[in-house]
Amino acid sequence: MPLPHSIRLQNVTVEFDKGFTCANLDWVIHPEHHWLICGSNGSGKSALAAVLTGAGDIQQGIVKNLPERVGVVSFEAQQELIEAERRKDDADIMDVIAEGTPVADIIAAVAQDKPLAEELCDKFGITPLLDRAFRKLSTGESRKVMLIRALICKPDLLILDEPFEGLDVTTLAVLKQHLQQIAASTTIVLVLNRLDQCPEFVSHIAYMANSELTQQVSRDNADEWSQIQGLLHLKTADLTIPPTDADTSLPELDASQPLIRITNGAIRYGDTTIFENLQWTINPGQHWQLTGPNGSGKTGLLSLITGDHPQCYVNDIFVFGFQRGSGESIWQIKQFIGYVSTALQWEYTVGTSLRNVIISGFYDSIGLYSKPTDNQRKVADKWLAVLGMQAKADETFSSQSYGDQRLILIARSMVKHPPLLILDEPCLGLDEMNRQRVLALIELICQRSSSTVLYVNHHAEDKITGINNYLALDDLP
Amino acid sequence: MSQNYFNSLPLREQLEQLGKCRFMHLDEFTDGVEALKGKKMVVIGCGAQGLNQGLNLRDSGLDVSYTLREAAIKEQRQSWKNATENGFTVGTYEELIPTADVVLNLTPDKQHTNVVNTVMPMMKNGACLSYSHGFNIVEEGMKIRDDITVIMVAPKCPGSEVRAEYVRGFGVPTLIAVHEDNDPQGEGLALAKAYAVGTGGHKAGVLMSSFIAEVKSDLMGEQTILCGMLQTGSLLCFDKMIEEGIDAGYASKLIQYGWETVTEALKYGGVTNMMDRLSNPAKIKAFDLAEEMKSIMRPLYNKHQDDIMTGKFSATMMADWANDDKELLGWRADTAETAYEKTPAGEVEISEQEYFDNGILMVAMVKAGVELAFETMTAAGIIAESAYYESLHETPLIANTIARKKLFEMNSTISDTAEYGCYLYNHACVPLLGDFMKNIKSDVIGAGLQLNDTAVDNARLIEVNEAIRSHPVEDVGATLRGHMSDMKKIV
Repeated sequence: MPLPHSIRLQNVTVEFDKGFTCANLDWVIHPEHHWLICGSNGSGKSALAAVLTGAGDIQQGIVKNLPERVGVVSFEAQQELIEAERRKDDADIMDVIAEGTPVADIIAAVAQDKPLAEELCDKFGITPLLDRAFRKLSTGESRKVMLIRALICKPDLLILDEPFEGLDVTTLAVLKQHLQQIAASTTIVLVLNRLDQCPEFVSHIAYMANSELTQQVSRDNADEWSQIQGLLHLKTADLTIPPTDADTSLPELDASQPLIRITNGAIRYGDTTIFENLQWTINPGQHWQLTGPNGSGKTGLLSLITGDHPQCYVNDIFVFGFQRGSGESIWQIKQFIGYVSTALQWEYTVGTSLRNVIISGFYDSIGLYSKPTDNQRKVADKWLAVLGMQAKADETFSSQSYGDQRLILIARSMVKHPPLLILDEPCLGLDEMNRQRVLALIELICQRSSSTVLYVNHHAEDKITGINNYLALDDLP
Repeated sequence: MSQNYFNSLPLREQLEQLGKCRFMHLDEFTDGVEALKGKKMVVIGCGAQGLNQGLNLRDSGLDVSYTLREAAIKEQRQSWKNATENGFTVGTYEELIPTADVVLNLTPDKQHTNVVNTVMPMMKNGACLSYSHGFNIVEEGMKIRDDITVIMVAPKCPGSEVRAEYVRGFGVPTLIAVHEDNDPQGEGLALAKAYAVGTGGHKAGVLMSSFIAEVKSDLMGEQTILCGMLQTGSLLCFDKMIEEGIDAGYASKLIQYGWETVTEALKYGGVTNMMDRLSNPAKIKAFDLAEEMKSIMRPLYNKHQDDIMTGKFSATMMADWANDDKELLGWRADTAETAYEKTPAGEVEISEQEYFDNGILMVAMVKAGVELAFETMTAAGIIAESAYYESLHETPLIANTIARKKLFEMNSTISDTAEYGCYLYNHACVPLLGDFMKNIKSDVIGAGLQLNDTAVDNARLIEVNEAIRSHPVEDVGATLRGHMSDMKKIV
């Protein structure tokens, strides 16, 4: 049966064991909708689902219309049942070998509907195991039993937390088909790690991040639907940073030297001084965050480093082994830097494919003016896979959404594994969903690459794990 | 005044110099900027070309400083600000010229005689003097000291674009030349190549030309198709649309952005592609109009080319220079008073395709002008590659200046030489096309053909297509654009 009423969570804060809290939950489950809860590990997906079963202490807010009959399949529920069986054994003080409760009884404990039970046991291949002790089943087998228990009680709400995990291919297909059938008559909430397993009947996605329900997306909104898939891909797929192209390796840097050293740095336009007396040394492996209000010269300071600011020639700047103004070319400097900014995105008006935009990172060019090698193409394709955009490799950059363009440019900045990665307000102009996608990608890069990151942002909330050196431009003397 | 250098040469050498133009391959630039490494480059003038070339050369690891007249430094004029704000050393001629290994003369043509006469005595023995336009040498007959190497490096784009393309990691097509009378150490070509690499030009394609071919083709292109035709076309098309009752704001906008839009198609795929953007009946119409205009305007193009070859054009212009630019300034003021120039573009939305559909006459004018200029130049002994660059290639660049701020912007962006030639052309061409314009209606300018039936005769369409595609400018254009796209956009 579908839900008799919509379940409503209004501004709910709920606390679970060990102080785990989900806050500010606002959520409505209409009887005719089927939800998928997703998010990275530890984001509170299962906790959100558990709220629907009445679990947790409601600290604040209102939870309305929780149904009475809820079918739950989860690792937790499975483990509880196995634990209970084990306790039965332990409780037995007699010196006989306890067999434990047979599967048939485990199922019968919840099922009134015998024909349905038989049908399901048959479908899931459990019939030969009916006499075996539940606790002796393999993980996959006990999972099937849990599924059958949940399905035969004809619940108002069916909660399936990672129901596809540990199932063999045949059972997976059977289960999906069965769910599709009952979706017409049962409200289903799924918790899934991988969106590629999302069944057809799911109409809405709830995205959890840091124990908050940050995104709710309807399948009807095609753009958001594909963006949330992209975000989830970055958050949950086991991604590695693609290797760089061995043939375009960078010159070795002296590890004992700082990457950047600016002495008494200043930028002046006519009589106006943007900043002066700036001392800044960036050593390899030292991640920095640069902050400052608009107009404080953040971008100017960065362009002194990248060589894009003409006053780099009248400052005392040492970068990547070069004292600026000693006959080096800017391309010798830029080869060590990966760079992303809103301005770059605006300037990137060359009509070329996503693959070529990524490859252009090897050449530090806007547009691609050299014939790429096969290897470079391969590296670019691997990055597209990381972004979940393999299928779009040949589409033009300009036809992409703003958020997708930003992700592509971040991949472009990383292809050569630059010693220094400069991210100049990488989330500027992005909506919440795309902000999360960009942060997810940056976090991945910070964790899994050896680039030193220089991150510019005036939003304190966009902190990135692993950055612990700060330079604030408004604090300059 | 010195004698016109071109006229001092025997015909055999004139033809040889006019015919010089070779597309250089990227592998001819493997030495990079080596020939200029460690040499002191001093730029005279800090306008758009001077500043932007200097920025590129410095970013390529070369030693660049600027020299300005004492007054410009003392009064902290714009050129002084340009150089100092960008962190360059700035000094007077006396301070910097004697230290220079290479002097880059990037002042306007008009000042060349004066500037070169001033700096030449201060230059080191064996130094190099570089021009980006050969007018001073070829037309004014400037004689440079025998020990000095004289080269030319001329990026074929406005200064801002020279910089923008470099920053992107690319460059703009560049023409280089060595003045053979002044190459005492035989290092002219090596220096010119290194200079082209320093500005990024080698990535977009370098043409090895001669001072003479550059001057004679550059003058011809700029005064006919590039600036003259667009100015004449703008004025005639606007007045016709008003006469036909088209909304003035619409007419103004169709012209201001129309040149840019239709020549964008030209840039990508030549006259063929520009014409292909029209419907079949419109293409045949544009073709016929262009043929008619070509036969009317051919004597005018010939006259311009002849006056350029004999030196009559430069003599006339130099007389005006000597007369405080009286003609030039008068014509400039007249242009500002034209109805087109005074009518701002309307708020109306015009789609990209509509510029073609409602601008058939403009397409025809571009086709006629490009083909005529090309034909006239090649008939005068200029090689096809030069003729291509000075006609078809540069048209979109000039059209872009009109899109920015109409004829005012075009005439203030181009050189005084081009502007003077443009007015000469315009004054002759407007009356020349008078009868032709009488038969023009809004179907070819402003309103579109508005046909219910777009059928065309097969034989006629094949004939027209064949004529468009087989024009020699299309042949050389396809080859040169091919070279560029080999390196440029792998779109």
